[in-house]
Amino acid sequence: MATFSLLITANPYSNQGQYSALEFTKAVLEAGHIIKRIFFYADGVLVANRLNCPPADELNLTKSWAKLAIEKDIELTVCVTAALKRGIVNQAEAERNALTSESIDPAFELSGLGQLTEAMLASDRLVTFG
Amino acid sequence: MKSVCFIFNKPPYGQGSGKELLDICLMCSAFEMPITVIFQGDGVLQLIENQQPDILNIKNYSKTFKALKLYGVETVLIDAAGLEKHQLVTENILNIGEIANSKIIQNVIQKTDFSIML
Repeated sequence: MATFSLLITANPYSNQGQYSALEFTKAVLEAGHIIKRIFFYADGVLVANRLNCPPADELNLTKSWAKLAIEKDIELTVCVTAALKRGIVNQAEAERNALTSESIDPAFELSGLGQLTEAMLASDRLVTFG
Repeated sequence: MKSVCFIFNKPPYGQGSGKELLDICLMCSAFEMPITVIFQGDGVLQLIENQQPDILNIKNYSKTFKALKLYGVETVLIDAAGLEKHQLVTENILNIGEIANSKIIQNVIQKTDFSIML
């Protein structure tokens, strides 16, 4: 049994990285391993936008991550610096920056890069999806 | 403590990955992880002296590379083939590391717990 963490930088609907990461996470769990944390960075943070609205016949990556996180109790951590640049904000950041509303899906949590390093130290493997 | 190696293999400014990778590197240094930084292929362009990205309203993070030693980054390797490809010599680039061939770089990557490339 091994402990994995994921670093996801892939733009959700422009390339396949997010979907590959989602399937990889399922496979890791099915094989009996542990996922310590999934860290979204760079364009990867865009998947945390609760307003993402792909056509009904396409996979909704935001909802897919949220469902998996709730079912399997996985931490979905979003880099706050990368997120704020791209309009992904929670209630506190929206108020601090005088924005009209929050936009982050409640299954995701804003935090700092330290959470990535901390996850690495607690994992056997870090796998990047870009 | 687990060791980590950061591989810069893309040119600066056309995309954000250089700055993004550097930020992870600095965070790992705050956790006192043993760090190796490698500039490989087009990544050697990150090290060209006197960059002026501020003309394009882009933040100049080039100076932070010079501070890597202060952040506790002991080993910085610069790919000889990358320098040759871009016709760069040591006088053109920041004096922050050793020139290394691909075999040395490969050995370092193999011995490190994590390698990150963006």
